[in-house]
Amino acid sequence: MAMSTGSTGGAVPNINVTPLIDVLLVLLIIFMAITPLKPSRFEAKVPAEPKDQQNVNVKPNPLTLVIAINKDTKQITLNNEPYGDVTDTEKLNTKLHEIFKDRTDNGVFREGTNEIEKTVFIKSPKSVHYGDVVKVIDAAKEAGASPIGLQIDDLQD
Amino acid sequence: MAMQVGGSGELNSEINVTPMVDVMLVLLIIFMIVTPLLQSGVSVNLPRDMISPDEDADIAKDTSVVIAIPDNSNFYIGKEQYPLDALGDVIKRRMEGKTPEKRIVYIKSGIDVDYGRVVQAIETIRKQDIDKIGLVADKKKGTTPPKT
Repeated sequence: MAMSTGSTGGAVPNINVTPLIDVLLVLLIIFMAITPLKPSRFEAKVPAEPKDQQNVNVKPNPLTLVIAINKDTKQITLNNEPYGDVTDTEKLNTKLHEIFKDRTDNGVFREGTNEIEKTVFIKSPKSVHYGDVVKVIDAAKEAGASPIGLQIDDLQD
Repeated sequence: MAMQVGGSGELNSEINVTPMVDVMLVLLIIFMIVTPLLQSGVSVNLPRDMISPDEDADIAKDTSVVIAIPDNSNFYIGKEQYPLDALGDVIKRRMEGKTPEKRIVYIKSGIDVDYGRVVQAIETIRKQDIDKIGLVADKKKGTTPPKT
């Protein structure tokens, strides 16, 4: 408009930048989306290597929660009671929520401290995919379990 | 220039896009440079869409030890591949001089890897007297972890 009224006959030395901006914007958005999110992780504890103390009397802790995964059926058990399987950790999560809420209400503390006992151990056979184990850890963590221990010794194949 | 020749006295209804393009270009270049730098180590098919992992900026630091297990046959620390029996020494060397609460080894394992391989790595780690491990997982977008 304003341009065409000017310099009659002469070429207009103006670059059309709109397509350039379009391409730039798209590229910018692509790179912004690719940029990874903040890294995050689950913290887990592993028991120290057993020392050569054969006859130590270890008192079994009645509050211990052991989550086990079945090798073939991929079922999850919490202290030997079945709670769904790895594709659906909802049941386990709800049960853990219940247990921890119960413990908070009743003031069940870890021995020698005044923290609520929320230790959970996870035991999985070696052939289970890591992704499934992490799903279980996620469910336990979401329920508030801390620390989460991974059993390392004497695992099934 | 050509614009000013025309419509003398009339208002110029064109937007001056040059500063915007400048800013865009700079942003674009920044992202292009930063993106490859952030991806350290080998690429691993991490567990995704997890609800509750804790954010930990230390994972991306150069000084932290991250063991990557992309498949059932390899262990990587950084970009270097190590056999299982050499992992212990590398971890030990890189953990030297760290305070006990900073002694944590991160494990970045693919979701299809057998748990047994991960256990082998953990066994090696705990032989170095380290009892904390971090299992790296991607958080589901847009969720905040519950306060515990």
